[in-house]
Amino acid sequence: MSLWVDKHRPKDLLKLDFHKDQAVRLKSLVQQSDFPHLLVYGPSGAGKKTRIMCLLRELYGSGVERLRQETMHFTTPSNKKIEIMTVSSNYHIEVNPTDVGIYDRVVIMDLVKNVAQTHQIDSSGQREFKVVILNEVDDLTKDAQHALRRTMEKYVATCRLILIANSVSRVIPAIRSRCLTIRVPAPTESEVCSVLQTVCKKEGLNLPSELALKISKCSGRNVRRALLMCEACKVQQYPFKADQKVPEPDWQLFIKETASMILSEQSPKKLGEVRQKLYELIIHGVPPDIIFAGLLKELVINCDMAMKCQVASHAAMFEHRMRLGNKAIFHLEAFVAKFMAIYKKFIEDSVGDAF
Amino acid sequence: MSEYPDPDEEYELMYSDELEMMREVEDHVGPNPIRKKMNLVKRSLDFSSTPSNYPVTLNQDINIPSTDQVLTNNDNNSISQDDRIPSHKRTAEELFGDIGDIDFESLQLPNKKQKTEEESDFDLISKIIEGRRLRQMLNEPSNRIQADTKSFYNVKENMSLDIPSWPFMALTNSDGNRVYVKLESEDSWNTSLDNCSNELSLHASLASAWEEARKILENKTQVTNQIDEDVIQTPINENVDLWVDKYRPNSYIDLLSEEPVNRALLHWLHLWDKIVFKKDVIVKEPQQQNKFVKRTGQFQLTNKWKGKKETEVEMDEDGRPHHKVALVCGPPGVGKTTLAHLLAKLAGYRPVELNASDERSTEAFQTALQSATLMRSVLDADKRPNCLILDEIDGAPTQTVELLVKWCMASLKEEGKKKGKSHPLRRPVIAICNDLYATSLRPLRPISLIVTVNAVSQARLSARLGVVAKREHITINPRLLTALAARAQGDVRSALHVLSFCRARGKPLNIDDIENTSFGMKDCNKTMIQALQAIFAINDKDPNAALKIIQAAGEYDRLAEGIFENYLSARVDARLHIACETTSWLRLYDLVYAWILRNQNYSLYGLLPYCLSRCHTVLASRQPFRVKFPMQAQDMFRKKAELESIVSSVWRGSVPSVLIGRKTLLLDVIPLLPYLLSPQLRSGNIQLCSENEKKSVAICAGAMCDYGLQYVQQRTPEGLYAFVLEPNVHRVAFMENIDRVKTNPTVRQAIAQEQQLEIIRRNDQMMTRNCKKTEESKTTRKEKPKPEIKLPNHLQRLQPKAVEKSTPQVHKDFFGRIVPLSQVQKQDAVSDVISLSNVFYQYREGYNNAVRRNVRMRDLL
Repeated sequence: MSLWVDKHRPKDLLKLDFHKDQAVRLKSLVQQSDFPHLLVYGPSGAGKKTRIMCLLRELYGSGVERLRQETMHFTTPSNKKIEIMTVSSNYHIEVNPTDVGIYDRVVIMDLVKNVAQTHQIDSSGQREFKVVILNEVDDLTKDAQHALRRTMEKYVATCRLILIANSVSRVIPAIRSRCLTIRVPAPTESEVCSVLQTVCKKEGLNLPSELALKISKCSGRNVRRALLMCEACKVQQYPFKADQKVPEPDWQLFIKETASMILSEQSPKKLGEVRQKLYELIIHGVPPDIIFAGLLKELVINCDMAMKCQVASHAAMFEHRMRLGNKAIFHLEAFVAKFMAIYKKFIEDSVGDAF
Repeated sequence: MSEYPDPDEEYELMYSDELEMMREVEDHVGPNPIRKKMNLVKRSLDFSSTPSNYPVTLNQDINIPSTDQVLTNNDNNSISQDDRIPSHKRTAEELFGDIGDIDFESLQLPNKKQKTEEESDFDLISKIIEGRRLRQMLNEPSNRIQADTKSFYNVKENMSLDIPSWPFMALTNSDGNRVYVKLESEDSWNTSLDNCSNELSLHASLASAWEEARKILENKTQVTNQIDEDVIQTPINENVDLWVDKYRPNSYIDLLSEEPVNRALLHWLHLWDKIVFKKDVIVKEPQQQNKFVKRTGQFQLTNKWKGKKETEVEMDEDGRPHHKVALVCGPPGVGKTTLAHLLAKLAGYRPVELNASDERSTEAFQTALQSATLMRSVLDADKRPNCLILDEIDGAPTQTVELLVKWCMASLKEEGKKKGKSHPLRRPVIAICNDLYATSLRPLRPISLIVTVNAVSQARLSARLGVVAKREHITINPRLLTALAARAQGDVRSALHVLSFCRARGKPLNIDDIENTSFGMKDCNKTMIQALQAIFAINDKDPNAALKIIQAAGEYDRLAEGIFENYLSARVDARLHIACETTSWLRLYDLVYAWILRNQNYSLYGLLPYCLSRCHTVLASRQPFRVKFPMQAQDMFRKKAELESIVSSVWRGSVPSVLIGRKTLLLDVIPLLPYLLSPQLRSGNIQLCSENEKKSVAICAGAMCDYGLQYVQQRTPEGLYAFVLEPNVHRVAFMENIDRVKTNPTVRQAIAQEQQLEIIRRNDQMMTRNCKKTEESKTTRKEKPKPEIKLPNHLQRLQPKAVEKSTPQVHKDFFGRIVPLSQVQKQDAVSDVISLSNVFYQYREGYNNAVRRNVRMRDLL
């Protein structure tokens, strides 16, 4: 018995719950003998991975589900030993090169080469290529991406790459052009609801549609999160009630709390308190760009249109700078300070206008 | 520089600075032999002054009618032949005529100040002469001969102050003295010319030229030596006796270190009197000490001293001071060694120094310690007990220090027990170090009296410098002395060195020398805290001081963090403009630094302090500001690593089928796991639960298996055993209140049990899957029923192990022929007498399985 997310994951392309026409197209793609490298992108929890696993199953049969976990070792040119965890079956290997940070180039070069150079033992009944799945391609360093573009062409006969990314904007155009890009958009709220309903039906539970809608709203159209939330709801209270409290990830609540703190008072003292909150978020490993996005989302609710633009542009700039820098906390706090300054000025002006 | 300069210009370019320097040197040094000589030439022309102590230099060739060839020259300058304008400044060109014709590529112009480079001077001169000679021979040989004849012209014979016997011409010089110059007939001149020309060979002229050149140089060096001796009286003396040694304090009054420090050390030394000199120590009233402390107001000893006032246990039971070792620490050059030596002498000891230049291995150290501190080695020449001074002990190896500590800790009573084995310390030991917190000193610190000698105050140092200057007869402005003292930063030694250096330069000092020159520059290292304080305080004197201090402090990264942690409270900032401005500079700093690290290109490293000093301009204020040491960033880093390790252990532990990206695991799954893992049960006993509850527990256990979580029994501080989730995802999932979603301990236990079952079940599944696979491949038989496998483990029964049917063993005789089975059996049956009976007994000592029975295969089948 495992969690619903894992238990009710569709295993066949045709059994997917949403984006069904895309699934059909993928199926027809696979049924032809050859298919190009794929770049699957879309937001988290939209079902990228599910689709890829279905695709692999379509390609190789149920053998791809027999997964094993291995740790591979690499040596960098500077003789540093690095290890990375891979998940593989007989037909494919999946790896997340960003786990090794700046050494991802070594991993990509060695791994892809290794896989590509070993041919399938018995190529009669199967495809003559293996599949390499690379996760989080948009977080790869530029070096690694450039290393990838050559490897992709060189070993196209023996291996296919499936790249997974959240957004293609940080994937270099050279790679984008070498791949067939497949966008997996986040499901709509109604689609999330229907997924929840089907899962609950399978589990033999009765889910009120209000609660389903509430959960799908809270999840931010992330199916994984929605399912986990739904199951958490079930664990907390069953039978479901329409006005039941939906457990949310704590960091989301924390960001909301921080935003309300910023809005409540604008002073250096408050800024200091906000900093502690930001530190706490960073400590818990919440990526700073998500903190940025969350804060912005909460903050602009209280702004008028002109200020919204201003704040959003500042947030974008600060977030960009943060990516170039090392100390995320500087940039986060700078954004908060800037927002406080803008907001305070706005409040003072509007109060001044009132009199 | 597209085109090359022509040779003349090139020469000018190449040697322009040397020429310039030479001009200056001549300007400054003044009495230069060459210039004197030229003055004489001038004199010989106008007869304005008497030839004084110089050899007779008047030399007028009135015999020679052809005046165009006449060379008015003094006796020892045959080289110069061009018409000279006697000028004040002389360059090499003027000295040696046009030297552009000589190849200078390999040469260097002589530097007249360098006495030691006579060799090169000679070289140069000879080369010039040679070069010129060759040229002359080519161009105007007659001229050369004429020039050389002069050296044969005897001055003494041709001139006189008295009225000579030979035909003369009377001349009157400016002093009114009459000089008589010999008149020579043209014939005699010609004959003398002929004589000359006979001897005039290239070799001879060269030799003479060489000789003269050498003379010039000799004269020159003589004169410069004279000058040196005139200007600087005793340069040799200074080398012999450094001022630091010369003006070393000889009495207690002279000591520059602070009075309480001196007194503390002296007091400690006197505490040894009882055991060393066998006389009672007069212990002062503690009240007096207190008063003294208040009066001076700068009692900066460590708490050891202060603590002693309360306890008043200064002596241990052996009559030795409580602290066996005095550890004198302080920055270099403040007089620690001097203090130790002087006080040891004053207290009646003979100081024995052991410093970094001596060998400090444990063996060498032990012998030194023994020879220095033991009672029996006391009676040496001056009959004084030794006082061991261990200089620069912070550089000593740790073992050595440990030996010293062991030595000190040994008490006199122990000595009685083990005779002569170890000798306890009976003499004071003063250890001197710069860095009190050196790791090797760690064992020594707690057992020693720590005396901190601080940097000498500026006023005292400048006063002392004034005394020294006065004794050395240097007139120096008191303001300069103050500047010098400020520059030395309390380092007496370096201040004295600088002073003596200034003296040796022989030039009066001015304020620029002290402020700007590079000599005597102390290492201006600043700590990060100092830099932070400088950033947050307005400095009226020097607006760029903050930048300098930042640069001196280095550690820009920590500094940036320090600014970041302190800036919010630095100034009143209601509209947060200051915060915005400061963070913008900090962000710039971060960008630049990240760029540097990423590209490993340190060309922008110099910009970092500017970013920080801009923060100074924004943040500096006049009100006193207490700077906090930046801790948050490191703290954050540590905590983050801790939580990250939890995440990664979950990630590694999770089963491949549920494996997702780390980020999604962290953001989506882990925050909700605590909710999922807390099913609500009515009772802890799983047997009493409803079917639904059992199911939820099963899901829970399955999820825990999937993500590699476990409930581990741990002993709480209260002594109870509690089930703790391992790895503890609660810490990652929740921000502040970790135990927001708490499960009942009994529920935890139930889950833990269920999970154990689940693990077993999964392993079983794995096994059966493997079995299935092998069976499928073999395609032998499929007899294992599936429902039996699904049966939970605790319900399964132990099945007797099926005995495999083995193929009947084929017996072979010695030659490999197959013996028929029946025959073998028969043989066995016949041969074994015991086995004829069905039951037999055998006694085996210590075993209870004494009954053995033959069971045959056919009986079983």
